[in-house]
Amino acid sequence: MDIKDLKTLIKMVTDTDITEFEMESADEKVIIKRSKGQEIIHMTAPAPVYAAPAPSAPLPGAAAPAPVVAPVNDKYETITSPIVGTFYRAPAPDADPYVQTGQVVEKGKTLCIIEAMKLMNEIEVEFKCKVIEALKENAQPVEFGDALFLVERL
Amino acid sequence: MGNGAREEILRLFRRGGDLVSGEELSRILGISRTAVWKQIRLLREQGYVIEAVPSRGYRLTSTPDLLLPAEIRAGLDTQIIGREIVYLAEADSTNLRASLLGEAGSVEGTVVIADQQSAGKGRLGRRWSSPPGVNLYTSVLLRPPISPRSAPQLTFLSAVATAWAIEETSGLEPQVKWPNDILLGGKKVAGLLNEMSAETDRVHFVVLGIGVNLNMQAGQFPQDLRYPATSLTLETGRPISRLRFARSLLHHLEGLYRVYLEKGFTPILLAWKNLFDLAGRQVEVDLQKRRLSGVAIGIDEDGALLVRLVDGSTERVLAGDVTPADS
Repeated sequence: MDIKDLKTLIKMVTDTDITEFEMESADEKVIIKRSKGQEIIHMTAPAPVYAAPAPSAPLPGAAAPAPVVAPVNDKYETITSPIVGTFYRAPAPDADPYVQTGQVVEKGKTLCIIEAMKLMNEIEVEFKCKVIEALKENAQPVEFGDALFLVERL
Repeated sequence: MGNGAREEILRLFRRGGDLVSGEELSRILGISRTAVWKQIRLLREQGYVIEAVPSRGYRLTSTPDLLLPAEIRAGLDTQIIGREIVYLAEADSTNLRASLLGEAGSVEGTVVIADQQSAGKGRLGRRWSSPPGVNLYTSVLLRPPISPRSAPQLTFLSAVATAWAIEETSGLEPQVKWPNDILLGGKKVAGLLNEMSAETDRVHFVVLGIGVNLNMQAGQFPQDLRYPATSLTLETGRPISRLRFARSLLHHLEGLYRVYLEKGFTPILLAWKNLFDLAGRQVEVDLQKRRLSGVAIGIDEDGALLVRLVDGSTERVLAGDVTPADS
């Protein structure tokens, strides 16, 4: 949609009593919201197919397209290993994991065990959180400071 | 109060001299004669043989091999280990009890002993067979001023203490399997499992779990053992005093812990290496997800097992089940 068409569209909408207008096609989306004497226009368009693979910057206020890879942003934190050892997600090889992805856990809940020389270190979470992802596989060796879980503090 | 009164009565019996009169016990304990009789009756039920000489008093003639705190303390020379001793006739797991005491703020050196365990812990959810009356099942609570990264060193400390207590009470020469199972003639006689509660840079507490097969008979071992097992009685052909063993173990734990706090890990590791018999031998290591096969060439300064693989590379093992493959 070019700017002339958009102006026409806004004119058409403002000539009516409609307060909110939304139009979506295969490759673009237009939202027009009206409040006392002003119009707010949101327009989102996909990146042109010939452009570089950088994601297109959405217009201010536009709904961001869902990213393919979730970035580690301020929302998430990692739980790291206090010792070198072997990471276990469950208390026994045939037992259920201490926590599942997506599970909300209270402060003090055991997330996993790190074993080094027969010293079992139960890693407890120090705040209420949602488990986003386990970053290590069961029975995998881990180093000091390795990220074990990605969590969202609640 | 009952326990305290009985401990006090036993202390008075042992104070020396011959007979202790009922009046004296009543006066010193500040309880009635009837209450004294009741405590004497309870002591007899626990296996103490207390002789009553009419109109003269009581005399202790024999002590049962019960792991009661008062009995362990009599003749114990430690200052830290055994400062508090908690005896449980039956526990789910002494490690679990000691951890709960640790969370509740119990002092360093608190020792939990159970006559039997219903859920004795092994590695990775395995069980430690714990019948009553025959063995020692104990957990020791420590609050070492070390970083969590160093805490695995305590595994070697408890292994050496256990091996030395076995030597002292049986005259046998135990070996250690990496990192801390104790073997006699290639059979497992003691199992150790430690647990830690820590933050990133601070240890809240460490629980040293120690199970030793003292007087277990051949028929008492589970059928599905992963590793051949034995007991001190089976190896020596004579009964082993549980009390004497417990005192010896706590004594060696204390000595080694003091050395560790003053001089660090090196002397502990040296003592451990003297007990290690897998060096240079063909071993298999079960890492749960995969198995290693190679020659155990030794351990590094952290205590990790070094295994030389067929391709000439060396793998550093921090956790796993090690079995000798050349016998």
